[in-house]
Amino acid sequence: MISITLNGREQSFDVEADMPLLWLIREEAGLRGTKFGCGIAQCGACTVHVDGQAVRSCMYPAVAAQDKQVNTVETLGSKDAPHALQTAWIKHQVPQCGYCQSGMMMAAAALLQNNANPSGEDIDVAMTNICRCGTYSRVKAAILDAAKEISS
Amino acid sequence: MSMTRRMFVFGGAAIGGGLALGVIGLGTHLAVHDRLAVQREGNGKDTLLNLWLRVNQDNTVTLLSPHTEMGQGAGTGLTQIVADELDLNWDQIKLELAPPSTEFSNGGVFEGFIGEMIGKAPKWAEHIASNAFNRLADVLNMQMTGGSASIRFTGWNIMREAAAAARQMLINAAIDKHSASANTSTDSGFVVDGDNRWSYGELVEHAATLAVPEDYVLRSPSDRKFIGKAMPRHDLPDKVFLKTQYGIDRYVDGMRYAAIAHSGVFGADVASIDNLDEIIAMRGVLAVEKMGLSVAVIADNPWRAEKAVKALKITAASHENSDISSASIESFQRQSLQGELSDAHAVGDVTSVQDGTGETIEAEFWVPYLAHATMEPMNASAWMEGNKLHVAAGVQNPLYVRAHAAKIADMDIENVVFHAHSMGGGFGRRVGFSMSEDNPIMWIDEVVTLVKKYQFPIKLTWSREADTRQDVYRPAILANFSAQLDENGKPSYWKSASYGSEGGAPAAMTPYNIGNVQVQFANHPSPIPVGFWRSVENSQHAFFNESFIDILAEKAQTDPIAYRLSLLNKDDDHAKCLTEVAKLCNWQHGVSDDGKAMGVAVQKSFGTMVATVAEVSLQNNKARVHRVWVVTDSGVVVNPDSATAQIEGGIMFGLTAALYGRCDIENGGVKQSNFHDYPIVKMTEAPIVKVKLLQSDNIPGGFGEVGVPTIAPAVANALAVLGKRLTRLPINA
Repeated sequence: MISITLNGREQSFDVEADMPLLWLIREEAGLRGTKFGCGIAQCGACTVHVDGQAVRSCMYPAVAAQDKQVNTVETLGSKDAPHALQTAWIKHQVPQCGYCQSGMMMAAAALLQNNANPSGEDIDVAMTNICRCGTYSRVKAAILDAAKEISS
Repeated sequence: MSMTRRMFVFGGAAIGGGLALGVIGLGTHLAVHDRLAVQREGNGKDTLLNLWLRVNQDNTVTLLSPHTEMGQGAGTGLTQIVADELDLNWDQIKLELAPPSTEFSNGGVFEGFIGEMIGKAPKWAEHIASNAFNRLADVLNMQMTGGSASIRFTGWNIMREAAAAARQMLINAAIDKHSASANTSTDSGFVVDGDNRWSYGELVEHAATLAVPEDYVLRSPSDRKFIGKAMPRHDLPDKVFLKTQYGIDRYVDGMRYAAIAHSGVFGADVASIDNLDEIIAMRGVLAVEKMGLSVAVIADNPWRAEKAVKALKITAASHENSDISSASIESFQRQSLQGELSDAHAVGDVTSVQDGTGETIEAEFWVPYLAHATMEPMNASAWMEGNKLHVAAGVQNPLYVRAHAAKIADMDIENVVFHAHSMGGGFGRRVGFSMSEDNPIMWIDEVVTLVKKYQFPIKLTWSREADTRQDVYRPAILANFSAQLDENGKPSYWKSASYGSEGGAPAAMTPYNIGNVQVQFANHPSPIPVGFWRSVENSQHAFFNESFIDILAEKAQTDPIAYRLSLLNKDDDHAKCLTEVAKLCNWQHGVSDDGKAMGVAVQKSFGTMVATVAEVSLQNNKARVHRVWVVTDSGVVVNPDSATAQIEGGIMFGLTAALYGRCDIENGGVKQSNFHDYPIVKMTEAPIVKVKLLQSDNIPGGFGEVGVPTIAPAVANALAVLGKRLTRLPINA
């Protein structure tokens, strides 16, 4: 049994130690905002926060999250109470197909937690997620905007 | 309305109140597919386009689309067009996607809408009804991702036809019911006659009793409030707040999960599973199924299924493709280009000048196979409910897939329900047919076969590796070019030959004024599955043609933009965009003090002219693209922000192909497997892209694909200025 605090709620899962956190989240917990893209931690579509740090859950063994706080994109915000990143994502019309964007926003949220005022270069270094639709310039503009919003 | 438009508007009272209008057009609109000799299931050459509008009693208007979001925001553009033609406020128009319920998603969408809105299809429409879903998909596809000019033309008109007819019916209702005057007009959701104002909602019941007018007129461009504005996309809030359900997110109770291994050789069956007992014993594994070209493992969790698939030891049946490699394909293509060729385009007589005295300039180009690599890998879910088979997936043409699933299941199409989901990227991958007549939607066959046998619900997901190795690829193409320059440095002839039937497409023709041109191609069946890849043949041929003209400019020691302009008429739209892009980027030919150089390319595709300049440097002998400038000329631009986003995205897509994209063939299969060896441009390598959209009153050009073709030649041409002329892609091989 693996016990984690998933989105604020302590839960136990009867899964193998090497099951990646992604599949525990998507299938055992039924939270499907976190996406599968590559399975080898290259694309970042599966990004979640473990104890506040961005991890690529497709290669992160569930057992490594034992007794830790795991937050998925479902905790980011809602239409009624949006995260500043979500507001900026809409303002800059970031998504195209949208599939990579929950991972993008989670990577960006972790970045802003660690660095409230990132430069464009900081963003380049931190945001290594793949977007096949090529929305990078808008992602960057939206992060800069959200950072300004949060710090004001 | 004029019959020459070959369209019919019909309508009546909507069930549940309101006025419903549909438009049907017959004709041969599918030039893009006909050109590539792709036969569609259905009624052959008769193309049906339809669009549904419902004017509601609550004074709103619903644009009904039976297609799910395809990624490029066309739905928003459609509502902009309708809102203008119907004279609405923005908050009055709603885009409604057909819900994935049985009634709508069983593919009988045409009948479904008719049933919901006006009760019964007109007799004449019945025989084509079954094709309606496909055709509307084409309209949407066109609006979002390009498509041929004829499709776009019809789409642009057809949407306005229904809205214009509806507006006229509302005016006629005011005249008929309230004795309004002949000067009656509309104003943002109201019919207005002097001081009298009636909301559309008030008039809609009466309007629904009137005949559809034949004398409506389309509104003038000066009446537009939304076309040409950056209206926010309807689908983005759902994407940002996780309401969008992609195919991979489908879940039904009792679902089991399948993962797939293919034989590893295109066309070859799996001959044997060599460690079946070991696989069956793995945790969660429920079944292992050999299905011709593939093996499926079914388990209680997708990761367990995939883990078992990765542990599978399989042997491919011997097959004639087993020995093929990229090298053997390239050498076969080279040999083919020496053999009998088909003529595509000809101007003047190349043979009459070929033996001239000038230096003959020759170049051989090569582009590799490319996978689509959509972010969401191929997947589908299927389950039985009573005697009905349900299939859920994100695909570009749901009715085709529904018909295909029925064929695989050996069931009547009426007993197959298709649930269309949003797609995590398409780029041509999720079309049901391919250029080589290989089946691009094998995952549908696989899941249907499994559900038929096991009866429980199954979601089948291809791993990234399966997705990369079992694609319908952008074709690998070898091309030969030759030319001779006259005493003024202008080509006295231009000769090209390329491999593949796309060599016959207009994209293969040089746009420059050259007295003698011969464009030819060789074509033989492809051993590797090839399909539609964002911008189709334009991505290869723009690289060939725009690199070669640059080589000639280099030989003529002339500025590459000036050289191109000297071979174009002043009023040509290539010249217009080249001139504009030169201004936009402050064009400099040569190496800058900090080691950068600019390269240019121009290509018209899908009705849109695109001129692109890339600023490139060499860092550790690898190309680094700093800035990109793009000028487009595309007639009416419905939504400039969406259009800009599509160009930005197209540049990134094309840049990935230019810098990194290659699928190498080894032993009959693709060597690359995932993003570590099939890399995608990331943010840190993404250039700054500046886009300028030139507009006119001409019919709208496409945007989804047109950003792709020019970036590879623009980068290659910049590298040539830095001393590195590359005629083979990818650049950073």
